[in-house]
Amino acid sequence: MRELGTPRRGQSYVDAIRQQFSAAVLEEAWQVDNQVTLTVDLNSLPEIVETLYYKHDGWLSTITANDERQLNGNYALYYILSMEGPVKSYVVIRGLVPPNRPEFPSVTARIPAMVWGEREARDMFGLQPVGLPDERRLVLPDDWPDGLYPLRKGTMDYRSRPAPSGGSETYPFLSAASGQTQEVPLGPLHITSDEPGHFRLFVDGERIVDADYRLFYIHRGMEKLAETRMGYNEVNFLADRICGICGFTHSVAYASSVETALGLAVPARARFIRTLLLEVERLHSNLLNVGLACHFVGFDTGFMQFFRVREKAMTMAELLTGARKTYAINLIGGVRRDVLKNERVRTLQLIAELRQEVTTLVDILLSTPNWESRTKDVGRLDPQIARDYSPAGPVIRASGYARDVRLDHPYAAYAGAPVKVHTRDGCDVLSRIVIRAEEVFNALSIIEYCLDQMPEGPILTEGFTYTPYRFALGYAEAPRGEDIHWTMLGDNQKLYRWRCRAPTYANWPPLRYMLRDNTIADAPLIISSLDPCYSCTDRVTMVDVRREKFATVPYKELERYCREQKASPLK
Amino acid sequence: MFKLLQEIARKGDVTAEYPFAPFPVSRNFRGKPEYAPTNCIACAACTIACPANALTMTTDPVAGSRTWMLNIGRCVFCARCEEVCPTGAIALSNRFELAVRSKADLMMTAEFTLTNCRFCRTPFAPTKEVNYVIARLVRQRLPQEEAERRRELYETCPECRRHANVMSRCRTLPAQEAQAA
Amino acid sequence: MMKSTDTHAGTNTVPAPGAISESEQISTLKQTLLKRIRRSAFVFRVDCGGCNGCEIEIFAAITPIFDAERFGIKLVASPRHADVLLYTGAMTRAMRLPGIRAYNAAPDPKIVISYGACGCTGGIFHDLYCVWGGTESIVPVDVYIPGCPPTPAATIYGFAMALGLLDQKLKAHHHTQGTDEEATLTHPHIPLQLRVALEREARRMSGYRQGRILANRFMALLALEDAAPFPERLQRHLDSEGDPRLSEVFGRLNKIVLRRPQW
Repeated sequence: MRELGTPRRGQSYVDAIRQQFSAAVLEEAWQVDNQVTLTVDLNSLPEIVETLYYKHDGWLSTITANDERQLNGNYALYYILSMEGPVKSYVVIRGLVPPNRPEFPSVTARIPAMVWGEREARDMFGLQPVGLPDERRLVLPDDWPDGLYPLRKGTMDYRSRPAPSGGSETYPFLSAASGQTQEVPLGPLHITSDEPGHFRLFVDGERIVDADYRLFYIHRGMEKLAETRMGYNEVNFLADRICGICGFTHSVAYASSVETALGLAVPARARFIRTLLLEVERLHSNLLNVGLACHFVGFDTGFMQFFRVREKAMTMAELLTGARKTYAINLIGGVRRDVLKNERVRTLQLIAELRQEVTTLVDILLSTPNWESRTKDVGRLDPQIARDYSPAGPVIRASGYARDVRLDHPYAAYAGAPVKVHTRDGCDVLSRIVIRAEEVFNALSIIEYCLDQMPEGPILTEGFTYTPYRFALGYAEAPRGEDIHWTMLGDNQKLYRWRCRAPTYANWPPLRYMLRDNTIADAPLIISSLDPCYSCTDRVTMVDVRREKFATVPYKELERYCREQKASPLK
Repeated sequence: MFKLLQEIARKGDVTAEYPFAPFPVSRNFRGKPEYAPTNCIACAACTIACPANALTMTTDPVAGSRTWMLNIGRCVFCARCEEVCPTGAIALSNRFELAVRSKADLMMTAEFTLTNCRFCRTPFAPTKEVNYVIARLVRQRLPQEEAERRRELYETCPECRRHANVMSRCRTLPAQEAQAA
Repeated sequence: MMKSTDTHAGTNTVPAPGAISESEQISTLKQTLLKRIRRSAFVFRVDCGGCNGCEIEIFAAITPIFDAERFGIKLVASPRHADVLLYTGAMTRAMRLPGIRAYNAAPDPKIVISYGACGCTGGIFHDLYCVWGGTESIVPVDVYIPGCPPTPAATIYGFAMALGLLDQKLKAHHHTQGTDEEATLTHPHIPLQLRVALEREARRMSGYRQGRILANRFMALLALEDAAPFPERLQRHLDSEGDPRLSEVFGRLNKIVLRRPQW
């Protein structure tokens, strides 16, 4: 175990678990002063995680599985919890799964937030969550052969492309409303108007009673790529492309996970530059989302104006990084571009312009006649459901919880920055959008702070020793919420395991609750208030549970109905 | 509503004139990588650093050549190639008008000759790279005979070098033992 | 070294199952289409396996600053109304059939544009288990727009080129090493160790791009034939720039020069 310079944050949680479950705790390992990994007996794991979650203010960051057979003979599961009580830290509960019996007791029945992480462990590693009722694939495409688990070591080359298993796509959609599953097969090359879509809305007339969705159409296999073709520095550029809107946040989370694992001190100036660019990214993303909200309530001029103003944030990014998007700024140990006089002066100019323009536009938006009627009390996320699912970002803050990684677990240069956490109690679409608008102004202030207080010194640390099998968490607050990366270093200058979790992964599961009891006309607005990080779905199927009929329409048609509020696609 | 119309009128026509006038990009915009093959020493640093495999190198042992290739279609414009190139042969420009009809037009290639190993005759090192290293050392006022001796070393492939090291060690061992005795 | 035997270098693409290739008849029809759609082109986006960066830049291209609608480019909601299919993202395994379906739904003749690095070749994901490659792995492509993501200006250029309004600028290029071709030595008058130390420090301070620019500028000042001694030249330059960060970086580089006067 390495020497830790500062006192350990989270020791109290470890002590509490040791006291309650003394026989079950097998090992305690600290990665850094605010990250500890407790290896526990697998059968006690669900109860230990539940205790930390509900009794000690723990929230789920993510779950990752890891094939550690060549390290200790087992698979490992890591349940990563962000502890947000009086002391804030990360506590990771680790369980070892024997290869001759690849199953583990599911935690989902106790904590709904666990569902996707456990299903993904099954898809990618073949570890079966016992007691999890949802048997469907989550991440891998329907035509992927059974029994082939991409992230198991030695199973397949990262370039292997198995032949499609069967020429059709099938995916059973679940609904609590009808109490049955409906499986609808698709033929290979037919387009018909009643072709099922990625999205199911279960309706009773115009009222939504439930929803289900088939996602991960864009699963590319990035985590495996990071273990194979790429070295640790190339992965920074891969991380930029996890999401085209919050890619830089991912890149910071990744770089800091490796830097923490190596015990690398990133120069102060580099941390300020990272903070500055993180806020620039927040600007463009939030302005995009507020613009889209205008579009969905039929206020297209507002949409155009927000996009026009957003261009200034894109110009700022291009000035500072060389590109409007995909900043390519991070390396392990620091950053690749500096802020000299020209960049500083021009950025300050753009900030002033943005502040003035956004103030005017937000003003106009909030006084638009039907704005409040379209957004207030729409798409409600009940605080208790929120607590059960660990969503992040404006979604959770709009339901009254002050969760923000920048304050809970400060990173980069946020510790001294003027960060404001904006929360609301409305739990609705209106609250989420207002929070995003407020964050735009806060971002402008933080950028000014960074430019004003930018320290001297280098922007890159070089000459460190890369040590295999160390692991750590990296994290950052993306515009959508907490980005969390878990990285284990490998040999040959590569990674052993990289787990990256975007906030939409956590925000999506409670969406069905936000849709319930709203009208279908409001569905696109509610979905957009999530600020989802996924490719637009092209078709939506609406299943009327009472009349037992269904209709499939392009998503664009639903969006049209949302904006115009007439000519329902159900008719 | 009136306030909004006022706002729009005030802003005027914001549309950029492009493509009817050149489009201004930032000074350090990351556009098309510009490659100066005369300055390339085929060291392959760029191909190792490129995250997208847009830069690749293939060796033809029969022809004794190494071909550098850039596929603009795969390029992600990250500038790692520019960062690692020792001679400044590749650097990102501000060109962004890169659309093409045929994917062959996305390719840039350059072929370099390889030096054969002095011992086993296998082509292994780019001639330009060896010459570049020698030229640098000569510029550092390395004496001519030393430069020629080093050339023999640089034109020996790693396999043969290992072999030669082992053999020369074997030769010195008896002499050392005799001395110690 | 894996990359030197990379068989997926260049333009080799293995077609995905069910891939479509174009017939002669369709190719001829396309010429007539090009004449017609110079007035207005209806574009349907087929979103395959992208990160959404391309989608957002396409949005930006239709908004006021870039206003692609000036050229008659309109996004439509159904492939049945499309003249142009705009494929974005890598062709992921899961999107193979939907991508083919969209192609079949659009009436002939149509133009297929492959957008972004992922669309052109699969980009950074080109060889992954869940990616067949770029758009061309399933359908014939007429125009490739590289970029990651392409800027709105590059997008407008790509469309204008696809519609025959602007000429293609990028062409394939091959170079064969000439006789007596040698790489030029940069900064031949600065001692090697000093140059390397200066370049390294400049990169640690200001990164690969500005660091190289600053190092070059510093070394140019150093090598300058001037009546005034170097420290004076240096100070004069810093005073005229008035940039505290530049002064800090040059201060560090100067310390390196001073450390070993026998450079």
